[in-house]
Amino acid sequence: MIKLTKITKSFGRNRVLNGIDLTVEKGEVVAILGPSGSGKTTLLRCINYLEKPNDGEISIDDFIVNCRNPAKKDIHALRRKTAMVFQNYNLFRHKTALENVMEGLVIVKKISRDEARKLSIELLEKVGLGNKLSSYPSQLSGGQQQRVGIARALALNPEVILFDEPTSALDPELVGEVLAVIRKIAKEGITMIIVTHEMGFAQDVANHVVFMDEGVIVEEGHPKHIFNSPKEERTKQFLARITPESAYSI
Amino acid sequence: MTLDFSFIWTAFVKLLPAIPNTLYITVVSVSCGFIIGTIVALSRIYKIPVLNQLGTSYVTFIRGTPMLTHLLLIYFGLPLIIDGLAEKYGWSFNSVSIPMIGFAYISFSITAGAYLAEVIRSGMLAVDKGQLEAAHSIGMTTFQALRRIVFPQAFAAALPNLSNSLIGMLHGSTLAFTVSVVDINAKAQIVAATNWKFFEAYLAAALIFWGLTIVIERITAWLEKRINVYNRGGVA
Repeated sequence: MIKLTKITKSFGRNRVLNGIDLTVEKGEVVAILGPSGSGKTTLLRCINYLEKPNDGEISIDDFIVNCRNPAKKDIHALRRKTAMVFQNYNLFRHKTALENVMEGLVIVKKISRDEARKLSIELLEKVGLGNKLSSYPSQLSGGQQQRVGIARALALNPEVILFDEPTSALDPELVGEVLAVIRKIAKEGITMIIVTHEMGFAQDVANHVVFMDEGVIVEEGHPKHIFNSPKEERTKQFLARITPESAYSI
Repeated sequence: MTLDFSFIWTAFVKLLPAIPNTLYITVVSVSCGFIIGTIVALSRIYKIPVLNQLGTSYVTFIRGTPMLTHLLLIYFGLPLIIDGLAEKYGWSFNSVSIPMIGFAYISFSITAGAYLAEVIRSGMLAVDKGQLEAAHSIGMTTFQALRRIVFPQAFAAALPNLSNSLIGMLHGSTLAFTVSVVDINAKAQIVAATNWKFFEAYLAAALIFWGLTIVIERITAWLEKRINVYNRGGVA
């Protein structure tokens, strides 16, 4: 179980997160929605300390990090319990697809190279890239790179995988293949927190939807409730604008 | 006046034994400079208190003064310091026992360090911030991330400039003759002193320097090709 308590974060005088409380049960797939600038990506990046919260508490099961003055080793431990899939993939450019997945296993988890290789190949096959093991990121399409990114995150066997708008940088044609992979691993019961603009996907895959605006959680709950009968005016407004009656989506 | 071709060859052969001195000075100063430069570059990028300011002052002072001046400052200043300390603390060591080439090593390392600090800094800044974030996100420590992810890419990005600096130090090493170190250039002067055919002797020296530079260029080109395998392909 992941629990965020009263997380606040400011950039200079600009308050981005204004006391966020969020509980994520084990195996839950959480979709965080909200307009640009609402703080969703910042919140996600606070969970593995790529962004330093000013205050609050992050706990994963019995492990607690006090954000007011965290120890270096706590931050490191937190990062080892989480994994992240980035909007612009951030694959290690000088390493092949296989090496990208192996890196964390060999260097962080200290697994033997042979075993790491075997496990990494399995994962790359799982995301449909068994034939791209020795390709460098520059030789892969965006969708393929993102799938390597997902395999790299999966390899660490983390308590939670954080997805930061995983399909925002992709051609519409390539979005499907990445979403399919995420959907597949969601079914395996891995805890996931996804910041996304893909409403259909959120509705379909998530079992817990969080709507954020201006640094606070406006409303959260089961996707059925949030999408079909939102209580808050701000949520209704946002959903009306983003899911018009017509069938097309941008 | 006619050009004495046979003396160019004679001088060329006589200059060969001086090549090691030139190479020693170049390799030592660039290696030590690389270490100094890395420390300075990291202190400046990560804004480490004190080291950052020291590094910035070091770079501006050294780049703002000629390499020959560094050599002379070290050559005349260092003995004063060492002998002063030796007297104070009763060491048996004194500055006379420092070989001449030692002064060149020390001063040129300091020179190279300042230039390389900027080369290394530019290389590191060329690596996308997301690379470090990705390394952190898979649980690497900052040290692991720098060593395994950032440095290799920074090295590739900085390679053309590094080779530039290396060639610069190779040629700069000729200044060592002012402290009586016999490098290729100094040797040319000595060789010519017997028959006053300075032009032929320096021409031979020029050919040797050119040859050494071509070797460096070739090695860089080979390294660049090898290291940058990952840059081929269409998608950025």
